[in-house]
Amino acid sequence: MNFETKWATPFKAKRHQILWKRFKKQIVLQLFVGMGMVFLLIFSFTPMFGVVMAFKDYSIVTGIKGIFTSDWVGLKYFDEFVNDYRFGQIVRNTLILSFLKVIFAFPAPILFAILLNEVRHMAFKRFVQTVSYLPHFISWVVVVGIAFSFLSADIGIINKLMVKIGLIDMPMDILTNANYFWGLAVGSAVWKEMGWWTIIFLAAIAGINPALYEAAEIDGAGRLARIRHVTFPGIKGTIVVVLILTIGSILGGGLVGSNFEQAYLLGNDVNNPTSEIVQTYAFKVGLADGRFSYAAAIDLIQSIISVLLIFSSNYIAKRVSGSSLF
Amino acid sequence: MRNQRTKMLVLSLSIIMMLTILSACSGGNSGEGSNKGNNTSTNVSAEDPDADNSGTETADGNQDVEELTLFINHSWYPIKEWKGSVADKITEKTGVKLKVTVATDDKQLPLMIASGDLPDLIFTASDIDRLSNSNISYPWNELVEKYAPNFEIDPTRIAINTMEDGNFYTIRNAFATKQEWENNKYALGNDGTPGIAVREDIMKELGNPELKTLDDFVKLLGMVKEKHPELVPLVMDKNWIESYFMTQFGIEAGFGSWYENEGKAEYYLKHPKMLEFFKFMNSLYRNGFILAENFAHANDQIDDEYAVSGKAFAHSHTVSVAERDNISTKQNGAAYTFKMIPSSLSEEAVRVNTGVGWSGTFITKNNKNPEKSIKLLQFLASDEGKKLTMFGIEGEHWTWNEEGYPNLKYNTADSDFVNSNGIKWWFLYSDAIVEGLWGYVPGTQTTQALLETKAITTYKPEVGMIQVKADSEEKTIKTKIDEMVTNEKVKIYLAKSDEEAVQRYETMMKNAEKIGLQKLDDWANKTYEEKQSLFK
Repeated sequence: MNFETKWATPFKAKRHQILWKRFKKQIVLQLFVGMGMVFLLIFSFTPMFGVVMAFKDYSIVTGIKGIFTSDWVGLKYFDEFVNDYRFGQIVRNTLILSFLKVIFAFPAPILFAILLNEVRHMAFKRFVQTVSYLPHFISWVVVVGIAFSFLSADIGIINKLMVKIGLIDMPMDILTNANYFWGLAVGSAVWKEMGWWTIIFLAAIAGINPALYEAAEIDGAGRLARIRHVTFPGIKGTIVVVLILTIGSILGGGLVGSNFEQAYLLGNDVNNPTSEIVQTYAFKVGLADGRFSYAAAIDLIQSIISVLLIFSSNYIAKRVSGSSLF
Repeated sequence: MRNQRTKMLVLSLSIIMMLTILSACSGGNSGEGSNKGNNTSTNVSAEDPDADNSGTETADGNQDVEELTLFINHSWYPIKEWKGSVADKITEKTGVKLKVTVATDDKQLPLMIASGDLPDLIFTASDIDRLSNSNISYPWNELVEKYAPNFEIDPTRIAINTMEDGNFYTIRNAFATKQEWENNKYALGNDGTPGIAVREDIMKELGNPELKTLDDFVKLLGMVKEKHPELVPLVMDKNWIESYFMTQFGIEAGFGSWYENEGKAEYYLKHPKMLEFFKFMNSLYRNGFILAENFAHANDQIDDEYAVSGKAFAHSHTVSVAERDNISTKQNGAAYTFKMIPSSLSEEAVRVNTGVGWSGTFITKNNKNPEKSIKLLQFLASDEGKKLTMFGIEGEHWTWNEEGYPNLKYNTADSDFVNSNGIKWWFLYSDAIVEGLWGYVPGTQTTQALLETKAITTYKPEVGMIQVKADSEEKTIKTKIDEMVTNEKVKIYLAKSDEEAVQRYETMMKNAEKIGLQKLDDWANKTYEEKQSLFK
């Protein structure tokens, strides 16, 4: 016993010293990480306590205190949502819109990045890249305004053009037809965000060792073969990580995001059967009406689905490609 | 050495960054805090040296002008500042100046209530029962007793606005009793009455066809479609799509409200004429008289553009639509004008006024001067105050006609003039009679339409007393039914055939039953029976 204390203390002290030294060396990096942690703590973790609201009979008149003092009602609000007459339709819309976005919006920037990478004319390449990522900075409200003036059946320039050149007889009601909403949403999201995400993949491609290309060329690989055997494997890791992140936020629209903005702004009474999603519904019957508990319950259901999706996609990615987030 | 310096630079930069982030977070709060501090001791003349008030202040000697904050829960409110001759006059009379905030959307007030961050005064038509809570607002009865014992409020108004705890926290404007309506023949309804305007030039071209029935109107739309295929026969304001036609079908309730049927209250969906009305709307669509896009208008200006830019023949909105469109077309230099079609196109046309008031002022518990607040309302409620707010300054803006209405020296449709002088919009306390007299301008189309409407109007405020309470089960059911109808009704309007319309109507009714229509009506009936005694 005596022996142990005698010898352990200096060792411990030494270890502390080493840790402190290493920390001091990394102080700048640690500060950056610290800021991120503080941000998460304040804006992501602290508000999470509000989730108890979903299980309580909360009324906004009682203020923030009311979150803790109101009565427990268990799963009442979950039950109410699941038994809602539109539950099936809303969940279907959310899932379909989300998966369509993964299917179409996820590969788009990868293909675009590979195409851009093959462009040899530098000025043209830069021009295309700039033009394609600019829409990212336009807010959805403005995009919807633009969509209206382009696609409206009555004043839309595209409809007018197509009628003029005889492609169609009657203007298409793209904005006010439930059948077109998913296509419209996915299309506009791809247009707006594709260029932005291309940057990540272009960066990944830039990181590939040029020697590999030279070697492939000497081995007689053509352009397509080089893309297939060098570029693609080179950015596989990036693709998998981005895919997993995408699937984690899939119900919000994944990579291109903005399910809510689109459903809320592009949605209207006419295309409502396909445009109403869980989030807009929570907003309309929950928040707008002051029923915070109900809204919290609806969104919690969606979050649970999202967490399940991220874990399963991570597991599958680990099995299939060997790379994963955790 | 150089490395050390770079390190120091990076370190200090990152610390500065962190500080900025943190201070940005708290910036909003501290700003508000200091603002509040300012308000309590605001001296108007110091803050706003060129305001007329500074004159009054010196004239009144020591009397300070108190600045109170007012939140207006109507995001469309045309007036955003306490200025203009009417506002100045009110300040002169009451020593109160208002610092106005207009709501950005309908979520702002609920959030303010939840956070407890309330202004001195709130002017609102919604969340009435949330604000009528002694933890949030001062009951008027207490304030009147304490500070303004000679403030007399008509007992019917008190009864209507009294809550379950026996207090009343506001008196809503835009209400008049049946007796008052009958006693004031020049008091007309307000602009919240549906109307349709048509292009005068095209009417002439078509030989001014007779408009006696709804069928005549439909035929007229058909003629327009045939002769002028480039025009949309009828464009509708997104908030006024149904109202005019429901009136013609004798449906005496609007969407989301109740009507009386043999002594019982029933939700409007159950009205026997509803199916017929839906079929009619569907036929308008199938005949190509209205556009599907009309149901997708993102704001209420799109229809105005159609009308003013000459792309539509008929424009449905409120009774003042023709006059407003005419002002705009004139500004655009267009040659055509609009005129109203009759307010009633059938024998069955009926309007039931179930109004129990529209918007009221609450004095919150945060109010820094409840005495001046209630006295401000007392002044606005006086004959002098009501006429000042609604008509403007006597002599300058109007003179009293012995017949019983004001002779206005300006055009009430000239919103620039009205708004810049602050006429009408400070009606924090008012009533439907004085508001209605403002609408009486002999010889105008709006007045004509309002007179026609008044002729077919009956008054049943007891039906209007059926109001669901926040956080109650009925409210949940009603919200869900209303939300469901909003989605389903468009499917009926846009059905491809008559059978499909009927079938969709039936689906909608089934959904309503499933959500709890019967339960809602049972509750409504109970309330209705209770409230009837108020008006006997």
